[in-house]
Amino acid sequence: MRNFKAIFRKQLLDSLKNMEIMLNFALYPFMGFLMSTFASPNFDGVPEEIQQMLAAGMPNMMMMMATMFAGMGLIPVVASIISEDIEKKSLRFLTMAGVKPMSYLLGVGAVSFFLAIFTTFAFGFIGDFGGTRELLVFVAAMLSGVIASIFLGATLGILSRSQQASTGLTMPAAVVLGFGPMLAQFNGTISRLMTPFYTQQLNAIADYFSGGPAAAPLWQSFAIIWANVIVLGIVFAVVYRKKGLAQRG
Amino acid sequence: MATISMKNVHKAFGDNQVLNGVTFHVNPGEIFGMLGPSGSGKTTIINILTRQLSADSGEASTAAESHEIGLMLEHDGLFNRLSCLDNLIVFETIYGIPRARTLEALEKVGLSDAHKTEVNKLSKGMRQRLVLARAVLHHPKVLFLDEPTSALDPLTARGIYQLIRQLRDDGSTIFLTTHNMEEATHLCDRVVMLHGGQIIEEGAPQDICNKYDAHKTLPDLESVFVQLTGGGLE
Ligand SMILES: Nc1ncnc2c1ncn2[C@@H]1O[C@H](COP(=O)(O)OP(=O)(O)OP(=O)(O)O)[C@@H](O)[C@H]1O
Ligand SMILES: [Mg+2]
Repeated sequence: MRNFKAIFRKQLLDSLKNMEIMLNFALYPFMGFLMSTFASPNFDGVPEEIQQMLAAGMPNMMMMMATMFAGMGLIPVVASIISEDIEKKSLRFLTMAGVKPMSYLLGVGAVSFFLAIFTTFAFGFIGDFGGTRELLVFVAAMLSGVIASIFLGATLGILSRSQQASTGLTMPAAVVLGFGPMLAQFNGTISRLMTPFYTQQLNAIADYFSGGPAAAPLWQSFAIIWANVIVLGIVFAVVYRKKGLAQRG
Repeated sequence: MATISMKNVHKAFGDNQVLNGVTFHVNPGEIFGMLGPSGSGKTTIINILTRQLSADSGEASTAAESHEIGLMLEHDGLFNRLSCLDNLIVFETIYGIPRARTLEALEKVGLSDAHKTEVNKLSKGMRQRLVLARAVLHHPKVLFLDEPTSALDPLTARGIYQLIRQLRDDGSTIFLTTHNMEEATHLCDRVVMLHGGQIIEEGAPQDICNKYDAHKTLPDLESVFVQLTGGGLE
């Protein structure tokens, strides 16, 4: 517990001072905020028809931004935190002082989750998804996706010897998970291929908010997202047991 | 009973046989210096003694749990975006020691005034002093210092020597590596010389210099070293 507390405090201070990381947490909701501002009838300078179009597609666009955050924002952030501590040998000093690698990963994961809660509520606040029930559905889906992303980011972080290596590893995952759902909207094949991935299901939940015909029932999307969490959790556990952290730190 | 000992330790990285039967011991409460040219395996020995690396054969032991060890390694491992104090608080929390001890450690290395400064903004010497503060925060039984004064100006280095002696007087055992023969002569109670994967000489600096009659106006450990190792790069 003491060790978890030490890591949590370190990571919170560190992340808050890391512009790159804070940008990742703030950028996507900020883009959502800009879009909803343009769509607002009070905003001059954007033609009314476009505003109406924007407003109609707002839940979808907001969900798209949230999906991008989960895929493109969060995964590289978690991987880069861990790989930086490996590369700079900070982790080695922590484990030599008696911190179990798992406490370290829990601390890093907890801070990332904590910051992602703010991002999630920023989306919830800006997004105007409907009533309380809709907001709860959104928050539940997002935070589940956040957990999946943290598992994946941590796995890729463990596998990276340096921060640069982690960028190389997370880029493909971020592109598939972050951009895939957007491409899926225009292409049936991609949509089918993306179905098993949690970001695609996050995105699919937008239909529930926009009142459009849902591609899949809500429970099914949640089931797939949670299956992702479980699978990525297992992958993380396997990689962690095989690779460890201490020796490489 | 030795605090640190190695008996006939071998270690290779692929075809590179770095340690080829290394034997030495460190007595409790002494400042012990490991001298050797670059690439001779000094850091490898520290890694083995701190259980971060295992030897291929032979025995290596350090009579301390890992939380009783203080470390200063090639890579400083500092959290760059955190202040000096926040860096130490991480370890203060892990060791469960009072804040007063943390402040005392900062004071000892002369970083009290800079406690709020971000590590990014420290000079090299200040970084090194912060690393030393972190290494001694928990009053370790054994302290491993890998080239503690490399890239420090003589004055800062002298301050660090003073601190190392004080730690020894308080009962810590100190193992350090260095290229700096003058440093070894003045700081270490005993030294060994590592060359070709083996210990080629050991003893008190003064005794070694006497043995090789290596005195100028000052005892000149450096010339012994050059004589024994050929002085070239490995
Ligand atoms: N992890 C490793 N993998 C492969 N080779 C290694 C590894 N660590 C050290 N070596 C090799 O072992 C030899 C000894 O390295 P070591 O770092 O112990 O030397 P050193 O005496 O500390 O040198 P310096 O004074 O330059 O710090 C070198 O040839 C180095 O290339
Ligand atoms: Mg070295």
